[in-house]
Amino acid sequence: MTMSPRIRKLALTAHVTASVGWLGAVAAFLALAIAGLTSLQSQTVGAAYLATELIIWSVIVPLSLASLVTGVVSSLGTAWGLFRHYWVLAKLLLTILATTLLAFHTQPVGRVASLATERMLSSADLRQVRIQLVADAGAALLVLLVNTTLGVYKPRGMTRYGWRKQRAAVDQRSC
Amino acid sequence: MAELDRYPGTPRWVKVFGIFALVLVLLFVVLHLTGRGLGDHRPGEHAPSGGGPPSPKRGH
Repeated sequence: MTMSPRIRKLALTAHVTASVGWLGAVAAFLALAIAGLTSLQSQTVGAAYLATELIIWSVIVPLSLASLVTGVVSSLGTAWGLFRHYWVLAKLLLTILATTLLAFHTQPVGRVASLATERMLSSADLRQVRIQLVADAGAALLVLLVNTTLGVYKPRGMTRYGWRKQRAAVDQRSC
Repeated sequence: MAELDRYPGTPRWVKVFGIFALVLVLLFVVLHLTGRGLGDHRPGEHAPSGGGPPSPKRGH
């Protein structure tokens, strides 16, 4: 199933917008998580964690799902396919991994934000979780940068499935 | 068309990428199994440190 050029461009625009938006939102999340962990002003700490909860639910989760869906649609609707090229497969796996981890991490974000609404956080409150939020946001940013790089450079290499499909197409044309 | 007769194999970047990803996933699993991952916190961790004054209430 191949999309018309107009639909393909629309799907690609949606995918790039969602993916780059996701990357930007994770960068903002990382900045807030660092501010929440290191700031000496308790109001800044509380505000930072309230903002992280807002960002994760209203921006990061929707954009991650949009990136996954538009990516699958774009690849299936073009000659690239979903399982034919290693760079597409790598992007798919990384996006699924990042989205799954994100789903697990909404809970600790909510816990820190919930405590921040109850009272001023001291530097000892949920320290382990707050450090982990910074580490995970940094890791997520790295994964999304790798995804962006793969999407732009499109490194060569076909999967065995893609190679068989290509070969079948060549055989069909020569018959 | 001889190059099309045989699968050219997996590129080196895919192997390097796969090993790197595997190490990261294992690291993540180990961190979680040892109780240092996300979602873990020691009992009483979110209570103010012992003996100290309670944190001021928000809005005061």
